[in-house]
Amino acid sequence: MRVIVDSSRCQGHALCVMNAPDLFDLDDAGHARVLADPVPDGLDTAARAAAGGCPEQAITARPRPAVPASPGGRA
Amino acid sequence: MSGEDVMPVFCAAHELASWDERHPQAAFAELAGQACPVRPDGTLVVAARGEMAEFLRHPAVRATDGVHYNLGGKRPLIPLDLDGAAHRKYRRLLDPLFTPKSITRLEPLIRSRTSALIDTFAEAGSADLMPSLCGPLPSYLFIDLLGLPVTDLPVFLDFKEAVVRPQGATEDEQQANMRAAGNRMYGYLAAVLDERRASVPRDDLIGGFLATEIDGQRLTDEEITDICYLLVIAGLDTVTSSLSCLLAWFAEHPAERHAVTADPGLLPRAIEELMRFESPVPLGHRWVTEDIEVCGRRFPAGSKVEVLWAAANADAAAFPDPFAVDFARRGNGHVGFAAGPHRCLGSNLARLELRLAIEEFHRRIPDYAITPGDQVVYTNYGVRAAVRLPVTFPVHPQDRTIASPAGA
Repeated sequence: MRVIVDSSRCQGHALCVMNAPDLFDLDDAGHARVLADPVPDGLDTAARAAAGGCPEQAITARPRPAVPASPGGRA
Repeated sequence: MSGEDVMPVFCAAHELASWDERHPQAAFAELAGQACPVRPDGTLVVAARGEMAEFLRHPAVRATDGVHYNLGGKRPLIPLDLDGAAHRKYRRLLDPLFTPKSITRLEPLIRSRTSALIDTFAEAGSADLMPSLCGPLPSYLFIDLLGLPVTDLPVFLDFKEAVVRPQGATEDEQQANMRAAGNRMYGYLAAVLDERRASVPRDDLIGGFLATEIDGQRLTDEEITDICYLLVIAGLDTVTSSLSCLLAWFAEHPAERHAVTADPGLLPRAIEELMRFESPVPLGHRWVTEDIEVCGRRFPAGSKVEVLWAAANADAAAFPDPFAVDFARRGNGHVGFAAGPHRCLGSNLARLELRLAIEEFHRRIPDYAITPGDQVVYTNYGVRAAVRLPVTFPVHPQDRTIASPAGA
């Protein structure tokens, strides 16, 4: 699973840090920062909770696309 | 703060038959379930959680109409009454001052102020927690933060009372009284800044504002005044009200209280859920500058719109079983600190004050209940608060040995 923060929408509620402390942190301005993307095993539920619980709908959590392995590219 | 005054109708939920001063959640939930809530006077209301997020981020939705400013201000309050680039400029300056990391250093101060206030009633076995704890605590902390003398406390208390719950029979009278209180605060802050510029720089918020620069420019006295004016209101009444609502709830829910006293690690999530459920700041207003459509609903240019945070927080579409207080609620995306570009600047400080105050109170007084034969009195006008919060508790022997620090 991938998580993405749209920084133009984030207003610094900090609820993602509470809903998924292993996946999000705050930067020096108090806005959300992704700590782990792709989402490590076992944290999919937390990722979905953070996305669903963002009052600004600034977080997207979606399954990793099935990308064919390519030399030098990220899977 | 008085709960006995005649309460003007202050929001759409207040006009419903389901309105209940003690439990306003049902009336707010009713509005969140309506397709296009409108007040009898025609004011458009945004109540549903989904529509609210879209509405607030629309560029034609503004904090003011450019004529009327919030809270009795004669100039736009910084940053509440600003939009767009001007708003972002000041938020870039102010946001870093109120991140969880920046405010951690306040923890010892908050604990000691709380503890000193508890000393004043811990041996009595009963107290009204509004005047003895919830009211004074944020005011002391605010004075500490700004670096002002404690003797000036009454200036702030009078000001915030006049502005948050303006007196007057008509809206014009209320506005006039608010502006008069506002003018007194402008005068007070001008005198403080004159004095501070003439003395040695100090390490507090005002000292920081005097030293900081935006784009190579120092802040003017007018800018600092307009920031501080808002901080007074925002920092005092909201935390007072929230703390009173939370302690009142814990007083009436002993099982949940025992859970957080046994494991204080539960408290941060409990506070978020109670901020959702209680929504101490129930609403804000926005102005629409051009004809727009949001979620299929038309908002004409010039509309003043009532945005009900408390309704969004009771919206069953966003919060399953919204009347249940569930500390483990998954993905709790409440808007108790508002939402959109004007989301509460001080939310992390509020969270810290609430957590430490409740931790300290529970450490000293873990068992308490609403005094038998008495009851909690709520007001929801302006902000929701337990204006009368009479509790009774057993006196613990160790409290007799704790010396009372000066200054409480």
